[in-house]
Amino acid sequence: MTVTTAPEPVVVDELITETADRLFGELCTHEAVQAAEEAGVAPDIWDAFCETGFDLIAVPEEAGGSGGTLAEAVEVLRLVGYHSAPIAAAENGILGGWLLAQAGIERPDGLVTVVPPRAAEVGWSGGGACSMEIAGDGTAVLNGEAHRVPWARSAEMIVCVCDCDGQTSVVAVPASECEITPLPNMAGEPRDTVRFVGAAGVAAPAPDGVDAEALAQRGALSRVALMAGAIEKMCQLTVSYTNERVQFGRPVARFQAVQQHLVWAAQDAALVRMAAEVAAREATRGEAPFEIAAAKLIANQAAARATKACHQAHGAMGMTQEYPLHHFSRRLWSWRKEYGSDAHWSAVLGTMATGVGPDGLYPLITSGTAALG
Amino acid sequence: MRFTPTELTGPELDLQAEVREFLAAELPPGTHEPCLGMAADHDREFSAKMAARGWVGMALPSRWGGSDRTAVQRFIVVEEMLRWGAPVGHHWVADRQTGNVILKFGSDEQRERFLPPICRGELGFSIGMSEPDSGSDLASVSTRAERSDDGWVVNGTKIWTSNAHMNDWFICLLRTAPMEDGNKHAGLSQFLIDLRSPGLEISPIPFLDGSHHFNEVTFHDVFVPDINVVGQPGMGWHQNTTEMAYERGGPDRWLSPFSTVEQLLREASGTPMEDAVSDLFGELAARWWGIRNLSLSVARLIDEGEAPSVESALVKEMGTRYEQEVVEKLVQLIDEEYSPESESLFERLLAQCVVTFPGNTIRGGTIEILRSVASKGLQGLPA
Repeated sequence: MTVTTAPEPVVVDELITETADRLFGELCTHEAVQAAEEAGVAPDIWDAFCETGFDLIAVPEEAGGSGGTLAEAVEVLRLVGYHSAPIAAAENGILGGWLLAQAGIERPDGLVTVVPPRAAEVGWSGGGACSMEIAGDGTAVLNGEAHRVPWARSAEMIVCVCDCDGQTSVVAVPASECEITPLPNMAGEPRDTVRFVGAAGVAAPAPDGVDAEALAQRGALSRVALMAGAIEKMCQLTVSYTNERVQFGRPVARFQAVQQHLVWAAQDAALVRMAAEVAAREATRGEAPFEIAAAKLIANQAAARATKACHQAHGAMGMTQEYPLHHFSRRLWSWRKEYGSDAHWSAVLGTMATGVGPDGLYPLITSGTAALG
Repeated sequence: MRFTPTELTGPELDLQAEVREFLAAELPPGTHEPCLGMAADHDREFSAKMAARGWVGMALPSRWGGSDRTAVQRFIVVEEMLRWGAPVGHHWVADRQTGNVILKFGSDEQRERFLPPICRGELGFSIGMSEPDSGSDLASVSTRAERSDDGWVVNGTKIWTSNAHMNDWFICLLRTAPMEDGNKHAGLSQFLIDLRSPGLEISPIPFLDGSHHFNEVTFHDVFVPDINVVGQPGMGWHQNTTEMAYERGGPDRWLSPFSTVEQLLREASGTPMEDAVSDLFGELAARWWGIRNLSLSVARLIDEGEAPSVESALVKEMGTRYEQEVVEKLVQLIDEEYSPESESLFERLLAQCVVTFPGNTIRGGTIEILRSVASKGLQGLPA
């Protein structure tokens, strides 16, 4: 009989969970999150976050990062979502920080953000309006427009993955070289338009494993983590509210019709957190295209169901600005659309599922990416 | 509530490989009509073959004929059997729950008498809970067992009794004391009753498609000896609630349509596939992956000594609705009419799913009851 060796466990240090939870719990009050939305920035929260070193978690220490695993970074992002922390944690760390470290480009002192690959498709290659030229000394000159760049208005550096003359490059452009037009997403988070007009930056060849697809996967994983936290918090708010709100002489949570909403929201919270943690575990070990795609599709669908259930259970109170439900529901509606819609990831998954054939379909469900061969 | 991610260990992966090898040899794809989940064919020979591998009653102690295996190991075997559409019907109930109940609440004499033959795959059990006037409100059961010299005399009727016409034994919840005001859970007891007892009458209640699955079981002064009372008389409600927890959250609550989906992919191979169909395979693979991870984590919690009743109820409620959603998506997408007697195996299976799956969110506790159990748990209230 063969003896199979299971992979090494991926463990997240409990101290990370405790520290991030405490930090955001203190800073990200309902009022602070509201104020950050109105101002479009939250420098105090960002600075406090940087003091913990979590801003560069999972970026290798030799590249100036804080070290740690992708699974640990995902745990921090889950807590960012849980507390609706108004910070560019993903962009600065496992997305932008990762790209710079991989390409060997020195990172600036301030915030780093990333042009999402899908945004690049829209503004970048769409109509050929965007172009890049790389000089022999690694200097790149960009012309064009990129859309929905998170927190570009606060960034020091904007990083993108570009294909130019058959070569994939990581390109870093100082924000001072760009024209930035503020644009909010549905949660009021900055998703700005960036115009490059002869913007000068640095280009470095992307090493193996670094390209638009890899960035799309990491971006999707970051959104799943944020969404897991947001759904969990939204669900907790709903349980509390329906226990306190009395109608017809009893808490509304005692009504079977309301219990249905609680149960469905709890299922979605559990499902997305599980998906985030399993995808993070596999991505920490290596490539995890199936797990990440599956997790993002699951998170997108769960966001739709859970926001509906939680809003319904809250009644009119959930439709007000004074009650915090909207911090989570509006973020979920936004994050659902970032780094891949339901249709995008279903198509990716469909290619995998039909590719393995009927006898491979169940092994794909049990073993994920490992079953893709 | 917390579902902790878990994954299979090396020895567990070996077991998975062993079960897959066994199934590939016993039921090569294309040679058998897959069953749809736990409503599987009864095949005593197949049950005996599984038992010979130690895969029936596997989590029971070896002292009583079991294999001292874990809930996760049982999960692996059950999962593979169901996804293959194997004929596990004969030993299903005994393996999933009755063996556990006898181990937990039964006497040593009962353990000796029932557990070894359960583990040999010999005994098929039916479950006697529902009655004409007692469905979800199970505490209102009125079939009575009255004391006689050295045992009990049973009178009344149980309904929706699956497979009583094929099984050997009946584990029954009966009223042994009149209903008390204010304590509706008192006065109930669990009994093991031989389905061939004199005075016990089994008559079919045809299933909506005409098949024979349900029965009405009527007791006319059926004598049950004292040694067949499970646990303490009067503790039946508590024991029954514990038993229900074994019913919930496992692969049988989310895998039933898998063979149908797999068969669609088999029949679609070699021809160009519409994007919408390909996308659906992708979506279903993703969602099965997600639910499976939750369900597996429940099995792991059981092995860690937890009693994850809220988690189990959440998984069952979600899983059975998902099973129906899978069928609905197939129906929406497949532009063919189908019949239970179609030439295509996929179409036969889909027709069977459409007709029988409304029962998936009813059997073993309706989803309405599950929501009540789960939401009390979420609010920190007693179930």
